[in-house]
Amino acid sequence: MVGIDTRTCLSLLARLLLAGVFISAALPKIQDPLAFAVSIDGYRIISGSWAMAAATALPWLELVIAIGLLTPWLRRASAGIIAGLLALFISLHVSAWMRGLNINCGCFGSSAESPDYVWLILRNLALLITTLFILRVAAGNKHAPQHTL
Amino acid sequence: MLREFAIILLLTALGTAYSLVSGLAPLPWAEPELAAGEIRLQDARGLDVIWVDARSEAEFAAGHAPNALFYHAADAADAAGSMIEILEQWLLQPRPIIVYCSDVGCGTSQQVAAELRVNLPDAEIYSLKGGWSAWLE
Repeated sequence: MVGIDTRTCLSLLARLLLAGVFISAALPKIQDPLAFAVSIDGYRIISGSWAMAAATALPWLELVIAIGLLTPWLRRASAGIIAGLLALFISLHVSAWMRGLNINCGCFGSSAESPDYVWLILRNLALLITTLFILRVAAGNKHAPQHTL
Repeated sequence: MLREFAIILLLTALGTAYSLVSGLAPLPWAEPELAAGEIRLQDARGLDVIWVDARSEAEFAAGHAPNALFYHAADAADAAGSMIEILEQWLLQPRPIIVYCSDVGCGTSQQVAAELRVNLPDAEIYSLKGGWSAWLE
């Protein structure tokens, strides 16, 4: 019987955590893309039909990569895209914070609360570090006997 | 790896197509329900607002929104007087200002709303989608 090492276990927990976060982020935004488009517009980067297009497609991407993270054949690409998205979200929050914008984050659907930029950035940073750990374990497992979970 | 990205892209495209087809998201070529700066009557009814009537005097006399202020759009001097009246009302109790004219094709309410935004940069100002016709429906 093949033993399951600690890194593989931690990677599984990390993937479950990330998948849960991204699925819970995606579903309300799939239900109400108009509200998400308003949130995107608030960042003053893209607006109008571009914001609407992003608001329609991005939640589906989040859902697909969240599920992909839990499948062996889409895991690495999903983790790579998640890392890219989190880096993008961190940049957007830093940009909005520096410009003094009072945004609606839009992270988990619409919210009336004022943004806590420190919390948003630290949270996404923690998720990014988790994602990089998953990628590192996946790269390591590629060249090792499979402990597929 | 490229194949994985292609599969993710394809699944995302399918999901996006579902949103468009099912009506969850508007089609890219569809006209927006509300233009920038517009508000629907059903949304306005729930608010305490200052109504501004940008129609003719005869139309105003025939019927208008509750406590609406008449805006003399035709004459510059009278328009200034109307502007002062609106400003006074707003300063007494700051609340959203909604301008309406005759119907959906009338552009006067947008013009008046634009003038109001210049003179009252801190106020929340809208033009009523559908105009007075929306009240009559």
